[in-house]
Amino acid sequence: MAHPTPSAPNEGEPQPGKPNIPTAPDLELIEMSRLKAYPFLAGCSEIVLKKLQPHLKEQRYEAGATILQLGGYSDAAYYVASGVVGVRLTPVNLRREAAAAEVAAAPRSWADRLQEIFNRTPAEQAVQQAAKPGRTAGGETLMLTDLPIDLRANEEVLLEAGEVFGEMSALSRYPISADVVARTEVLCLLIRTAGLRLMFKQKELAGFKKMIDDRYRARTLSTHLRNVSLFANLDERAITSLRQTAELLSFEPGKQIVEQGTPADAFYLVRGGFVKVAVKTGEANAAVTYLRKGDYAGEIALLLGEPWPFSLFALEHVEVVRLPRAEFQAVLAQHPEMQAMLWAATVERLKARGTVAREPLTSRYLQMAMDTGLIHGESVLLIDLSTCTRCDDCVRACAETHGNVPRFIREGNKFRTWSITTSCYQCTDPVCMIGCPTGAITRPLGTLEVTINKDTCIGCHNCVKRCPWGNIIEVPYSSPALNRQIDLATKCDLCLGRPAGPACVQMCPHGSTVRISFKDMVAVSQTLS
Amino acid sequence: MEKGVFRPKRRDWFRAFLIASVASIVVYAVWAWWTPWTPGRVGGLTFGTLAALLFVVDALYPFRRRWNAWPFGTVQRWLQFHVYGGALACLSVLIHVGFRLPNGLFGWWLLLLTLWVTVSGLAGVYLQKRIPMVLANNLEVEAIYDRIPELTARLQTEADTLLAGTPDLLQRFYSTTTRPMLASLAPSWSYLVDFRAERERRLAPFKEVVTYLAEADRLRLADLQGIVTEKFELDVQYSLQRILKVWVPLHAAPAMILMGLLVVHIVAVLLF
Repeated sequence: MAHPTPSAPNEGEPQPGKPNIPTAPDLELIEMSRLKAYPFLAGCSEIVLKKLQPHLKEQRYEAGATILQLGGYSDAAYYVASGVVGVRLTPVNLRREAAAAEVAAAPRSWADRLQEIFNRTPAEQAVQQAAKPGRTAGGETLMLTDLPIDLRANEEVLLEAGEVFGEMSALSRYPISADVVARTEVLCLLIRTAGLRLMFKQKELAGFKKMIDDRYRARTLSTHLRNVSLFANLDERAITSLRQTAELLSFEPGKQIVEQGTPADAFYLVRGGFVKVAVKTGEANAAVTYLRKGDYAGEIALLLGEPWPFSLFALEHVEVVRLPRAEFQAVLAQHPEMQAMLWAATVERLKARGTVAREPLTSRYLQMAMDTGLIHGESVLLIDLSTCTRCDDCVRACAETHGNVPRFIREGNKFRTWSITTSCYQCTDPVCMIGCPTGAITRPLGTLEVTINKDTCIGCHNCVKRCPWGNIIEVPYSSPALNRQIDLATKCDLCLGRPAGPACVQMCPHGSTVRISFKDMVAVSQTLS
Repeated sequence: MEKGVFRPKRRDWFRAFLIASVASIVVYAVWAWWTPWTPGRVGGLTFGTLAALLFVVDALYPFRRRWNAWPFGTVQRWLQFHVYGGALACLSVLIHVGFRLPNGLFGWWLLLLTLWVTVSGLAGVYLQKRIPMVLANNLEVEAIYDRIPELTARLQTEADTLLAGTPDLLQRFYSTTTRPMLASLAPSWSYLVDFRAERERRLAPFKEVVTYLAEADRLRLADLQGIVTEKFELDVQYSLQRILKVWVPLHAAPAMILMGLLVVHIVAVLLF
């Protein structure tokens, strides 16, 4: 297949529903004739291709260039148009301490060591608890393969023209599962996330969706199921049985996934996106909690055979795995140990419902978090304005910890008596990491903190523009590596390497600063209500 | 009165303080009943030493606040000790002198400074609890103190732009009644007591002028009222935050003098 010269790289991509992300007015569209030259698009009508056009981009890579990096995030699936790419799985150290050690590599004085011993404060514990990934059985970052091959550590496999990779990261924001490097000169067609979703809806491209779904079912679903604590100990036969009957469903933002009171006929596992769990309170649907990738719902239905005790709504584009009740119960009958876990999950869910029933205000906080996007945050910095004396000690402490440049701004949106500061939320899906040209912004695997390496940041503003909440700040910096002045992107790194945890929390004289994940309803209830 | 101003933030600390205070008074009462009490005898010296130690640890609090890498607990814990330890130190001083008035000038200075530092400290606790509650519960606007003048200036520019090209009546109303309100910050100490009356006063002219305006101009007037309200809230923010800032030297400067006199007092006791 002949491919003309690729279009120029664009600076920013439109992301509907996300504030503060600029569109790319200068995006060069690929000509229709060229699009039709791609085999999987050949059968598409002009109308469909026109819809897809803004979401497709051709990108050429020199031999040796890194296309995707292990642990990174991507907003596009890659179709190899020509050339050969090598996929290599490098074993990584997933421990948080390793990342912290990197930051705190400087020799420590006796005072530092003393401090470490005496500074085991609640703040530190809170952060360490928050830092637990907790979303996977192994307590590690869940990485699902989105490559058309099975990999072993240190083994390199080559992909040729016609192969697709990276769609899992694009659709569900899982970290890239391997390093992908161009082995020859390579031309890729990048299909942006919005384009992928659009393609899945087109009847003419049903084959493409089926190919992606089949691949997920065949290569990834087992891993995904095994990484859900509930299924972690299932034998291969049971996993295969679940895998075969699983339905893969997608929901648009706002769509209802299940309705409270209707017969509960399935178990739902969230692949990607955020799902609101709500109970009917009068005419409204009061938020009880939310589900994110790796979370599941439907256990009450499986155990008791009762109707859905709550409704599920897609808060954004959501991908779920639906496991029909009958098949699930067959597996449950063979694995009674699963029942205990389901009961535990049921109790947790009922507790959350109870919290909302007792303290309806909790639901308002949760709803606010859903409306404003705070649910994306794993560690959101809030300030209780009813106790804060505006002394700015939090900002000062932050600045002192980071070379006299504070990593957050105390100003921000206000909700009731709480200020939502302009500070990195440490998002579950850090979209700021997508497309960093030098890989300066990273989240070490298994950790919570997204950090920016000032030695490799070139001040291109990519992450600043991508952060949907405007929480990455630029500061003038004289880069020794580049030998020029740049606008260095800086952001909160939770004081990685500081034994007592984030300075802003530890140094507040009035205990007004808190770091919170809205996933933890008990903490939300205790802290904010 | 804002709810919870007098409720201790940490009940465990408050309980410990009460127990220590009651115990100190009981020890003093029994001791003073049993044997004559003077500052120089064992009982008086014990409480004097306790007061001096508490003062010294209390005086370390500002250093803990500034020193990010200081070990031994959070700043909040240090503040709790600063407050309750300071109050206990004052009580210890009173017990030290046997609840009697001092004889010499130096003794008066020490006692008066102790009382001033303690009372101003407790006033600080009150202000630091009341003002944040007032700001958080009654105002929509939240602003960083140093940025308030800049934000105020911006509001005036915004109002000028909004009112450009409007009918004469609205222009006159703006230039004579509203613009002066927006011209500069108008802080007032009285906002600590009440600011609702002043808000009513500032917004009252809007109710009068609205009846004379066409529908389209009423929308502009509503926007202008929003700007005036925002400016007023910035005035309140500035006024109340300023009180918190002014309070610090009123407490800290005498405390430093007290520490100096305390050293002289201890040296004098040891030497003579």
